[in-house]
Amino acid sequence: MESLGITYRVIGPELVLTVTGVLVMLLEAFSPGKKVRDGILAAAGVVLAGVAALALWDEGPVMAFSQMVIADGLRVFFTLVIVLGTLLTILVSWSFLDEERIPPGEYFALLLFGTVGMTLLVASNDLMMLFLALETITIATYVLAGYRREDLRSTESALKYFLLGAFSSAFLLYGIVLIYGATRTTNLAEMARIMSGPLEEAEIVLLMAGVAMLLIGFGFKVTTVPFHVWTPDVYEGAPTPVTAFLSTAPKAAGFAAFLRVFSLTFAPLGIESAADQLASHWVSAVTAMSILSMTFGNFVAIVQTNIKRMLAYSSIAHAGYVLIGVLARDWAAVAFYMLVYTLMNLGGFAIVALWARRGDKWVLIADYAGLGFRQPLLSFPLAIFLVSLAGFPGTAGFVAKFWLFKSAWGAGFQELVLIGVLNTVVSVYYYLYVVIVMFFREPKEEVPRIPLSRAFMTTMVVALVGVFYLGLLPTRVFAFLNAAQNLLAIGAR
Amino acid sequence: MGGHLLSWLTFAPTVGALLLLFARVLMSAREETIRRLALALSLIPLGLCIPVLMRFDPTASGPQMVERAPWIRFFGFNVDYFVGVDGLSLWFVVLSALLVTISILASWRAIDQHVLEFHIFLLLLETGLIGVFVALDLFLFFIFWEVMLVPMYFLIGIWGYERRIYAAVKFIIYTMVGSALMLAAIISLYYLNGGTTFDILAITENARAGRLALAPQTERWLFWGFALAFLIKVPLFPFHTWLPDAHVEAPTAGSVILAGVLLKMGGYGLLRFNLPLFPHATEEFAGLLCALAILSIIYGALVSMVQPDLKKLIAYSSVSHMGFVVLGIMARTEMGMQGAIFQMLSHGISTGALFVIVGVLSERRHTRVIAEFGGLARPMPVFSALFGILALASVALPTLSGFVGEFLVLVGTYTSELAHARAYTVLAATAMIFSAAYMLWMLERVLFGEITHEENRHLPDVNRRERLTLIPMAVLVIVMGVLPNPILRRTDRAISEVKQAAHGAVLVQWESPGWRMPNPALSKGAARERMGLMRRR
Repeated sequence: MESLGITYRVIGPELVLTVTGVLVMLLEAFSPGKKVRDGILAAAGVVLAGVAALALWDEGPVMAFSQMVIADGLRVFFTLVIVLGTLLTILVSWSFLDEERIPPGEYFALLLFGTVGMTLLVASNDLMMLFLALETITIATYVLAGYRREDLRSTESALKYFLLGAFSSAFLLYGIVLIYGATRTTNLAEMARIMSGPLEEAEIVLLMAGVAMLLIGFGFKVTTVPFHVWTPDVYEGAPTPVTAFLSTAPKAAGFAAFLRVFSLTFAPLGIESAADQLASHWVSAVTAMSILSMTFGNFVAIVQTNIKRMLAYSSIAHAGYVLIGVLARDWAAVAFYMLVYTLMNLGGFAIVALWARRGDKWVLIADYAGLGFRQPLLSFPLAIFLVSLAGFPGTAGFVAKFWLFKSAWGAGFQELVLIGVLNTVVSVYYYLYVVIVMFFREPKEEVPRIPLSRAFMTTMVVALVGVFYLGLLPTRVFAFLNAAQNLLAIGAR
Repeated sequence: MGGHLLSWLTFAPTVGALLLLFARVLMSAREETIRRLALALSLIPLGLCIPVLMRFDPTASGPQMVERAPWIRFFGFNVDYFVGVDGLSLWFVVLSALLVTISILASWRAIDQHVLEFHIFLLLLETGLIGVFVALDLFLFFIFWEVMLVPMYFLIGIWGYERRIYAAVKFIIYTMVGSALMLAAIISLYYLNGGTTFDILAITENARAGRLALAPQTERWLFWGFALAFLIKVPLFPFHTWLPDAHVEAPTAGSVILAGVLLKMGGYGLLRFNLPLFPHATEEFAGLLCALAILSIIYGALVSMVQPDLKKLIAYSSVSHMGFVVLGIMARTEMGMQGAIFQMLSHGISTGALFVIVGVLSERRHTRVIAEFGGLARPMPVFSALFGILALASVALPTLSGFVGEFLVLVGTYTSELAHARAYTVLAATAMIFSAAYMLWMLERVLFGEITHEENRHLPDVNRRERLTLIPMAVLVIVMGVLPNPILRRTDRAISEVKQAAHGAVLVQWESPGWRMPNPALSKGAARERMGLMRRR
């Protein structure tokens, strides 16, 4: 068996998550409705997966399972980001499960299976593996998006997500086939080797068509314009904790795959090669996607009246910023950005979820009027997360953006940086609009006092500490990322 | 504490803000207690200014009381926590600490809602203000520069007047446009300097020694990247439109800090960055900026003249006075730049105090319309005397602080090598007449004449707290007007170094194509300036 490279240690995190997921599901079947037990078990599984990912650290870059799976710095770091996202989602869902009377075991199991898909996506070193992982994610998240069965918005959201998701998966698969036709492999390491030499004319055409398809598929998954149309509807319709999850962990995983395929495998080498022929094309395509996502996302977010839709457009805009990092081929900057984005977005959504209350009813920005001084434990953290999303210094959002812009400037994408910084000014307008409503406007009716659960307070503490720690003292995480960068197997810069 | 004086000074207000929060949460302190505690806490940074001033050596070159520690490392960040004061920043640090205390005193009665939050924001703002002036690392500078916007936004938006939301949004969007471009310029400068450091001094030194060889077009871009942020802050015509709105809608404390410190960051930034780093571009655009400065001076004065609202009048007068600052800086003579700094300090105190005065009036009458007043000298003699002194300081009456600044700027401009220097001087000088006109006319309508409104007849004169706020300011404008030397002596060295950097670099590239030759009458101009300096001493 050694020849096939079956080493279970390398898929440790995925094994732990799968086993926990199955266990939670079985427990639910035998003694249903025990939220605390299932939740703690799920959280423990997720934490253990994080530990298992860290244990891969000392292995160095290794490949296993016929080079289908890889363990390197990129994987370890992104797995940790995903683990963090899932853990916070479990906390955010805590009171939501009671309110909506959702069987907790089922919900947590789906969350865990989705997470398996994500960590696997981050670990995949083969386009087939990548496709498999993506499908695992999407199947779990389709169900999650439609979780409030009796709510029309939720059902609509799930259906839309499913149809467009299936559509994008088809693109992705077709792209993989075409690329296979050109390079005779689906393995990324092998592909990089083949593309470092010249290819025949017909193969190049095939390759380009395949990469274009792949780009469309990825564009859907990481919500970039013009493949973003499903995002606002799905984010609005899905239960808020699920939206929180969708906008963070799967996106981080998607960008990890994006980085691995485009920034690392399809990287130009500066010599006469297929990779360089290809690079000029994908770079211009991704540049266009980035500019469109930033500009469109930010400007459309201004006119939103529903905070979930507003955050959906903000998420599109942030995807645009992150693409700048993909173009600069600085995976560490992207990884840091996704870590920060996960913290601030989940923190923000935790408050949105709490304020929306039962049935997701209070989701208009106008509903936040007067929240400011009446419930400062909700309004001030939300203001901080929004300020961080807008990229104000002192918060993690600034360090993350600064890093992206700095690498992009160094890599020669000056125009993109200028468009990016001007876009952040636009984004200030709508992020601070929520602050205006909360603090400067008086409410029309009596503002209810919402009890704050312990799970909610934990989320706040984690997210706030994270936002300020990474905003003021990021050196430790930088050092970790620096070490991780030396653990890259392919395309190390 | 000794080695970390500036850090203490910068972060004492933040610690103070936390203490206020604890006082409320743990001891449920009442509003009056919060006010007193905030006042006491704001006295700490003010008190810390004394050892800073005592330790400051006016003859030493470069920053003093420097603290430096590595802060963010890896991935080419190389950001240091690097602070220090030099002649450029010293007085602004003191001014910031002083005006925050004044603001707290001035808001004692005016702010009666969310008192805790108000003082927390004010103290957080103070950290930002002082931080901008002491930061010697570009990254750190930018953090303070932006961080300060958030508390200011809240101060205007929560405690402001009717159109406060509009004003707050306008203020933040205007400033953000400038600082977003400055961020791009900072990143670009970082790479052009070799991509190893954000240290402002190191980059300046490289620029001075000609090691930061920027292509002319790049230098122009960078110049505007920085200048736009600063000119919006100053604000120079035509970037001034946010200022009247922000000033009028902000609470008194907000106006005092805005006029007193925030606008000064623009002038400070020009002196700290644009002149030494981009001397050729400065040389090229100095004429344009001087022309805009003259426009600001005259436009601000003319618009002030027709304002029916006291606060708006003072706001537009700020546009006019800050025009002198840009003029003095762009003249790039020692006297001009000295004058610019002095004018900024003087304007900070006199205009800050005038906003307090307006606050006193609007607390009593709930209106700021000039026509509502008249004959106040009789019921409010002390108030009127203070108002008179501060308004005249703003008009630049000799022996008061405004005169020193504007006179130095005018002489500095006259003796500069700018083309049309004399025309600029003449035009700027006319504005002093305008400013006398609008201020004196306003004084006449508010303080003198018959009492036209019955409710003014029994207005109470300034109380003890208000005296405590206004008398020190009035004393300061007199002292600064009579004895400007203690201030000028401490800025002298830093200014002459800025001038050397600006002129030296121009001389280095004398032969380089693409740049207009510096004025051949350089030696003549230098001689003229030396004469000017002798006259001053």
